[in-house]
Amino acid sequence: MNIALINASPKRSESASGALLSDLKGLLPDDQIVKSFSMNRPSIAEEEIKELCGCESWIFSFPLYVDGIPSHLVSCLYQIEQLGIKNQNIYIYAVSNSGFYEGKQNRNALAILKNWCDKMGFVWGMGIGFGGGVALNSMKGVPLGKGPKSMLGSACRTLVNAVSSHATADNIYITINLPRFLYQVLGEMGWRQEIKANGGKRRDLERRL
Amino acid sequence: MRLIITDIKELQSAQNPTQRVITDNGSIHSCIGCFGCWIKTPGQCIIKDGYEHIGEQFSKCDELTIISKCFYGGFSPFVKNVLDRAISYISPHFVIRNGEMHHKRRYSNVIHMTVYWYGEDITEAEMKTAQSLVTANALNYDGRVNQVLFFSSADQAREALPL
Repeated sequence: MNIALINASPKRSESASGALLSDLKGLLPDDQIVKSFSMNRPSIAEEEIKELCGCESWIFSFPLYVDGIPSHLVSCLYQIEQLGIKNQNIYIYAVSNSGFYEGKQNRNALAILKNWCDKMGFVWGMGIGFGGGVALNSMKGVPLGKGPKSMLGSACRTLVNAVSSHATADNIYITINLPRFLYQVLGEMGWRQEIKANGGKRRDLERRL
Repeated sequence: MRLIITDIKELQSAQNPTQRVITDNGSIHSCIGCFGCWIKTPGQCIIKDGYEHIGEQFSKCDELTIISKCFYGGFSPFVKNVLDRAISYISPHFVIRNGEMHHKRRYSNVIHMTVYWYGEDITEAEMKTAQSLVTANALNYDGRVNQVLFFSSADQAREALPL
């Protein structure tokens, strides 16, 4: 089976969406043909769409943007819809990651993708809503299924099993395995470091214009 | 002040001293996920395309009216782009609100959202998603939902809009 891994983060490197796809790729059986695609801009080349249509399973990985999918991804989905592709053998899977702690906050983004899938006549496989995604880049050395990535490991295995058997499953909402207060403290520390690294002061994070 | 965000270009003419209208002039760029609006130029997007002040414009409004074609239960690419580029309205700091993690307020104004969705063939599932999305947006802004309305065409939505 041909599997498309679609990185829909606008970041060209160091994205949590990319890190998630790398982890997922490592779990896919060796006999699957895996192709990587990028949807980081508001349009996608038609040749790429043709290539995508040769894949039976598409796995989207994207960041949660304002409770939904990023605008450039809406544009790409619409572009694909406009081509009028009809293929009931294409299964859509997705991982939406957010900076918020609760995975459930990704529910509307996954629903939007499922609604697109229904409009296209594709099959909605399943989705993972992952809370705490911004921390993933600093955890590249942490094996999937261990420590803060424990729940993520189990959710990814469920998704990979569904993809491998071309099956559907319920969406899974999970979070990073850290207590919420600790995640919040670490996040805020990160913002303070970032603004200082950019020549600002801690209070600038709250600046009003 | 009322802020209108819409993908209907003709509504640009509704701009007046008490009503700002954001429409598509063809120059908007997508958010690149750099968080520059929080850590480099706090409160303002780093992409200088004429849409860098949206976060600040949010802070000047008490009424946010969105008129958008419904795309799969979400906003149209232009409207979503404006919302994606407006995250500087809120602070990067976290706060627990309604038992969930959200971003802290940067400003003190309370946004009241009214959303006019339009489209010929909006499904029940898309309506449900759209309704849930607006509720989630308002919670993130620490604002309120006034109304969520659905229309079968842009003209109908425009006619229903009190200007």
